[in-house]
Amino acid sequence: MAAPGNDVFFQTAAELNARLVKKEFSAEELARAFAERLEQLGPRYNALALPLKAEALKKARAVDKDLKNGRLRGPLQGVPYAVKDLLSYAGQPTTWGARPYVAQIFDYNATVIDKLDAVGGVITGKLAMVELAGGGGYRSAAASLFGPGLNPWDRSRWSGGSSSGSAAAVAAGLVPYALGSETSGSIVTPAAFCGVTALRPTYGLVSRHGAMALSWTLDKLGPFAHSAEDCGRILQVISGKDSQDPGSAGKSFYYTPQYARPLPDLKIGFAATDFADRPDAAARPAFAAALEAVKACGVQLVEAALPPFPYGAVLSTILSAEQASVFEPLIASGKVDELADPSQIAGLKASLEIPARDYLKAMRLRRMLQEAIQMMWGDLDAVIAPARTGIAPKVDEPLSPPPGAASPASRQAPPATPRGFGAIIPAGNLAGLPALVLPCGFAENMPVALQLVGPPWSENTLLAIGKEFQSRTDWHQRKPPGV
Amino acid sequence: MKLTRRQLAGVLAPAAALARTAAQPATVAPDEEMRAAREHLKANGETLAAQAVPMSTEPAFQFKV
Repeated sequence: MAAPGNDVFFQTAAELNARLVKKEFSAEELARAFAERLEQLGPRYNALALPLKAEALKKARAVDKDLKNGRLRGPLQGVPYAVKDLLSYAGQPTTWGARPYVAQIFDYNATVIDKLDAVGGVITGKLAMVELAGGGGYRSAAASLFGPGLNPWDRSRWSGGSSSGSAAAVAAGLVPYALGSETSGSIVTPAAFCGVTALRPTYGLVSRHGAMALSWTLDKLGPFAHSAEDCGRILQVISGKDSQDPGSAGKSFYYTPQYARPLPDLKIGFAATDFADRPDAAARPAFAAALEAVKACGVQLVEAALPPFPYGAVLSTILSAEQASVFEPLIASGKVDELADPSQIAGLKASLEIPARDYLKAMRLRRMLQEAIQMMWGDLDAVIAPARTGIAPKVDEPLSPPPGAASPASRQAPPATPRGFGAIIPAGNLAGLPALVLPCGFAENMPVALQLVGPPWSENTLLAIGKEFQSRTDWHQRKPPGV
Repeated sequence: MKLTRRQLAGVLAPAAALARTAAQPATVAPDEEMRAAREHLKANGETLAAQAVPMSTEPAFQFKV
């Protein structure tokens, strides 16, 4: 059996598992290669929160025994992975990316880690994140215990947040796949900025037991990987009923793209303005070409738009009110002042003052917009839009202007209800919708991506479209320079 | 779970080392930050207040539709 070569670092989980089953190398050798690479290169991108090499090697040796005895546990068996440091791993620090929690240790694993462990997954580390997953709102890429997430495509640029390390680690080939979380944009944004495939599942499909809460009614966990197919395989393992998560929908997911409806039958909503007007000028050619590639998959593209609602204000109010309750002890103790980002400290403190009237109004509007979006699915099977309209910003650039500063033209406050699908991130999260992020090209040598969003439980449809798109393009297989 | 100080130092060392490399955000007076945060929430509240909602519309309690 030969030691794994450098070709393993950008292979999909399924490809690596196939090579393990063929005994091209052992799980222990594979775990060692990835764990050492994560330890060595993770700090280069401020992506590593905690290396777990010893634990990885121990688990990998157990997997090797299983493989030797013919106990096959599916395509993730023996494949290394890492998780956002928002998930508890028994006996090891879980910092939530924030200084006040630097010594926090739980004595149980997050459900998703137990589920991956049961199929032979090999955890090699925990990954950096924006402190408290961005709760309170942050203005700087440096809003993290681990420093600003650096983008493998250009380390002077941000890797996105809040699942910064999860996206960067997959993009740089430090892990074949990683888990992250999204409350509003924390999977979609870093996946788009780092050029990796990622899936935000339907609310309630993946247990959040053992994950930091930011907003009980919005939080979701999901995978970052090298392909849509891998995302499907990972989701199959981590989904399912969990009585320890009150938000659990009690549903499982089986990755069966072969049973998805034929693509020519699918109506995909899009707004021309999302591709022609909203993106930064440099990104427009890539998005225009990507839309043509989607069309070439055989789906029907139908001009559409989100129903008009003030999605941003509704989401921000719900998130602020729920995070205030979640972090009330942190705020009351004064330890909130230990956070790295002053705007986040202020945002959390101010959140305690939200009137119940506003929270309830937002939740009533949420019901109305949910009903309107439900109607939209009567005509459409999914919608497509740019995941982000531009490339990753520079790490030393403020993510929003400081108080009192005049907004540059490019950073003017968006309208309350953007046209087309401009508000698809808050809308999709308020309605608990799944989203698949597909790298779709480059602008200024940085990746850009599409997001496909569908009705609840439509993951197989999204993945079938994603699989077809990725069979026709190679954007998801591109590697950052110098890795 | 009980950990000795040495065990704790061992597991925290990588995080602490990385934290030292963190860039610092630009300084804005805390009062100014609080004012901005409150204004943001107030603006949200005003946006919501401008929306008409029928009396019969109850708050959402399903979070996927």
